[in-house]
Amino acid sequence: MAAPNDPDPGDPARHGDSGLQPERTDLAWGRTTMAMVVAAALFLRWLPHHGWFVGTLVCGAIAAALAINLTQKRRFHRAVRGINRETMPPDLGSTAAVAASVVVLALLGIYTVLFLPLQP
Amino acid sequence: MPDDSNTGAKDARGRLASRLLGGGTEPDPRFTLANERTFLAWIRTSLALLAGGVAVEAFMASLLGPELRKTIAVLLLVLALVIGGGSFFRWLNVERAMRSNSPLPLPLIAPVLAIGGALVAAIMVVFVIARPA
Repeated sequence: MAAPNDPDPGDPARHGDSGLQPERTDLAWGRTTMAMVVAAALFLRWLPHHGWFVGTLVCGAIAAALAINLTQKRRFHRAVRGINRETMPPDLGSTAAVAASVVVLALLGIYTVLFLPLQP
Repeated sequence: MPDDSNTGAKDARGRLASRLLGGGTEPDPRFTLANERTFLAWIRTSLALLAGGVAVEAFMASLLGPELRKTIAVLLLVLALVIGGGSFFRWLNVERAMRSNSPLPLPLIAPVLAIGGALVAAIMVVFVIARPA
């Protein structure tokens, strides 16, 4: 395993991890944002059939994607700091928030399919 | 988080976090990051199921009857719900195991995904075979 080799203290993005863990984690969050946007785009397809309520689903998915995107930098620097200091508390807030968003979107989706009639 | 200057809220969050994580010592940050990426892979799986459920309801109206379409869509959405919620507990359990140096728990959501996915596929196969040409 790669030990941090003298990270530059002046640069918050500099780390000595040869496994490139902060970058890979950053990209994994980025892919999750994309998946969220795809879900939002598909919800958009429901709009003409199930009415205005679907707007909340579209907005919810977009808001979740935006929230992930806006906090990307903070998480990346946190990971770099964690690697440099060899200790890092787990990001309970981010994981709980993104899991909760998916659960709420799924629940609203089930409600839409079961209880909102198709409009011609 | 932007409200970190509020020490009271920070303390409360710290207490909740330590209760959820169950003590132990902080593992290698690389393992914590790997666990986070695995969690995100499960979340994307859940989002793909969600998108699948939405697509079935939106695009298959001319192909499937309303009951079958609803059944498949709801099955996929419920699967997305279970995988999405379960992935957080999976992440938490792995984090707890790493902190206490115990063996990692088996992923319960893996067989759920396998059985759920197979069920939806089986329904579609039966539909395709039974459909009049």
